[in-house]
Amino acid sequence: MAMQMAMQSGQAMAGMGMAKGGMLMTMYPGLPLLWSGTALAAMALVTLLALRTGAGTLGGRWWVLSRLPAVGPLLRWLATRPAVLVGLRLVAVALFLLVIATGLFGNQIPQRNLATMLTWTFWWTGVIISVLVVGSAWCAICPWDALANLLVRQRIWGRAHMPLSLELRVPRWLRNTWPALAMFVGLTWLELGFGITTSPYGTAVLALIMVVLATLSMALFERKAFCHYFCAVGRTLGAYSTVAPVAVRPVDTDVCARCKTLECYHGTGEVEPCPTHLVMGRLRENTFCISCGACAIACPKQNVAWRARPLGSELALDVRPRWDHAWFILGLVALTSFHGFTMMPFWESWMSRLAQWLGDSGQLLWSFSIGMTGALLLPIGLFALAIWVTRRLLGNRLSFRRLFAIFALPTLPLAFSYHLAHNLTHLVRESAGFGSVLANPFGVGAKPLSMAERMADLWMPMDLLFTLQTALIVLGFWLAMRVLRQRASRLPPKGTAMTLVQRLPVTLYLLVMAGFNLWLLMQPMIMRM
Amino acid sequence: MMRARWLFVLLWILLGPVCIGPAWAHHVIGRPSYSLNEDSNTPPSMEVETQVGDYYVTYMVFPAFPRPGAPGRVNFYATRIRDGKPFQGKVTFWVRDAGWLHWHRRPPEKLGVQTPEDGVYRQLFQFSEKGDYLLRAEFEADGQPYQIDFPLRIGNPAPVGPIGIAVGAVMLILVSVSVIQRRRLVRLKAQRQRLESGT
Repeated sequence: MAMQMAMQSGQAMAGMGMAKGGMLMTMYPGLPLLWSGTALAAMALVTLLALRTGAGTLGGRWWVLSRLPAVGPLLRWLATRPAVLVGLRLVAVALFLLVIATGLFGNQIPQRNLATMLTWTFWWTGVIISVLVVGSAWCAICPWDALANLLVRQRIWGRAHMPLSLELRVPRWLRNTWPALAMFVGLTWLELGFGITTSPYGTAVLALIMVVLATLSMALFERKAFCHYFCAVGRTLGAYSTVAPVAVRPVDTDVCARCKTLECYHGTGEVEPCPTHLVMGRLRENTFCISCGACAIACPKQNVAWRARPLGSELALDVRPRWDHAWFILGLVALTSFHGFTMMPFWESWMSRLAQWLGDSGQLLWSFSIGMTGALLLPIGLFALAIWVTRRLLGNRLSFRRLFAIFALPTLPLAFSYHLAHNLTHLVRESAGFGSVLANPFGVGAKPLSMAERMADLWMPMDLLFTLQTALIVLGFWLAMRVLRQRASRLPPKGTAMTLVQRLPVTLYLLVMAGFNLWLLMQPMIMRM
Repeated sequence: MMRARWLFVLLWILLGPVCIGPAWAHHVIGRPSYSLNEDSNTPPSMEVETQVGDYYVTYMVFPAFPRPGAPGRVNFYATRIRDGKPFQGKVTFWVRDAGWLHWHRRPPEKLGVQTPEDGVYRQLFQFSEKGDYLLRAEFEADGQPYQIDFPLRIGNPAPVGPIGIAVGAVMLILVSVSVIQRRRLVRLKAQRQRLESGT
């Protein structure tokens, strides 16, 4: 959209490599029929299996990783050494400052500038993939939080005794995920509407804005209110990490039950208190844990460690349904699909037609905003309809809000899996020329990527990419159905199980959304750079 | 603690000179070109090539940095992709205020209707006010309407760059918090003194 400075009637752009606002654009084919057919067959099988009543066997088994042979001691050492964390934070800060510098002062060709390549092709895609391996660990080394810490608390890690902060409590009306949802919508608008992904300058300005916002929040509020309530990246990773196979948890829950000092919550003389007000002994969900490891370092009994657990078990069993969180999850569902939708060849022509109808011009921001609003409201509206029907089928026993909050949870794996599958495409297909960007981060004297460079061998074979995408979509759908079964098997207040018919509207919704995401992956996709 | 303080000082030393440096011109769209073009003795500020429907369009803006009250010119070329034939019809040029949130936007103004000279459409302009504008080239070919919008900056960009604004905002936040903290401290001391003198 950023390059959509030309508006005309009719004709969508198609084909491999063509000019778009002075730039070449590339389009890659979507999932071939073999893979999409396999995914559809697997999803049909999952649906049939999931239609059985009962909770299923998504259990609460877990393993303490620091007790594993060989890697266990290493993990324990890493988790309890502040130097490791400080080192990683410094590296993240250095890269972040380099992104700002290259974005502001470097070559403005997006594929030749470190700011756009590192931020959008590697970080924003990689950080979502990282949740699968390390949960919300990115938040622990987040550079804008580290810089805010440095500015407000004059240190990069540990408890500050005289911070430049008013240490106010966050007002009650802000203690929810609505601010993060608003920021996420805003970031998506900037990314897809304003075209910040193809603007090194814009990327640098956004990075500076994040630092200012994090600093403002830390200067006003106690602990890390920005991470807890306001940061769209943090809340996204927090939501996804409830599906992740790892989490920071007590090694022995009895030790926590006997603990009277709660160093994990209050911190110690050197270690800061939990930035998001969590007590390790009572921690059931990852949503607000930023994996900073302060609790692991502070605990005198060394009773905090990384745990492995089955994928999605926390979402199925432990996450507390909340109205604001449900909206955030549905926002993720809608916006991740919308990301893919805007990269379809027909999107540009739809926008052109809408712009002509509206008399919109330039970057077509009004047209884009209307399209985005529609794309956001449609899946949420469909979900609300499914909940309304479910409520009727349940004889209006539970409130609409309650059901909405409960059954938003099974939709989260759909957003996560599509996000991963979509990001894999960007990571594999847009990373051409990254070697030259590393060698010349400011892109001094660099020319735009030629078609030959764009079409150079991908670092991952296409077949492997298609297989991974298919597996992710099926896995996401399977997890969604498992979470639905668990949640439907113990409906509050008395833990009653829903019948097959009562589960049908939400099952259909999950099927429609997963099918839509699969269809998006099957379409040819226009690359951002 | 000392190490963190040194880091803090180092950060300010590094960022300080940058934020008081000159503002950098920037073009999100198009690529700046600094070679001399055609008969102009000043380089174009922007040269953009784009495909619109059946046409390949190029436009250039002269001079490099148009200023209020000074004349400037747009050169516009359109060639049919299929056969490379230059467009020969009339092109109408319009101008209006740019920006998404220009609620007070004035109605578009027609700059002129141009015919080609050697396949080039030349449109003169002169703006009395600085600001961001959108120029539109409008023509009809094979029964299809074509409208091509491109941005035009008149006058200097903002004198303070984004680093200056960010550093300024952070300084303002920290100084304000520091002042409030000091006032709190003074108030607390006064309260304590009052309590002590009362007992």
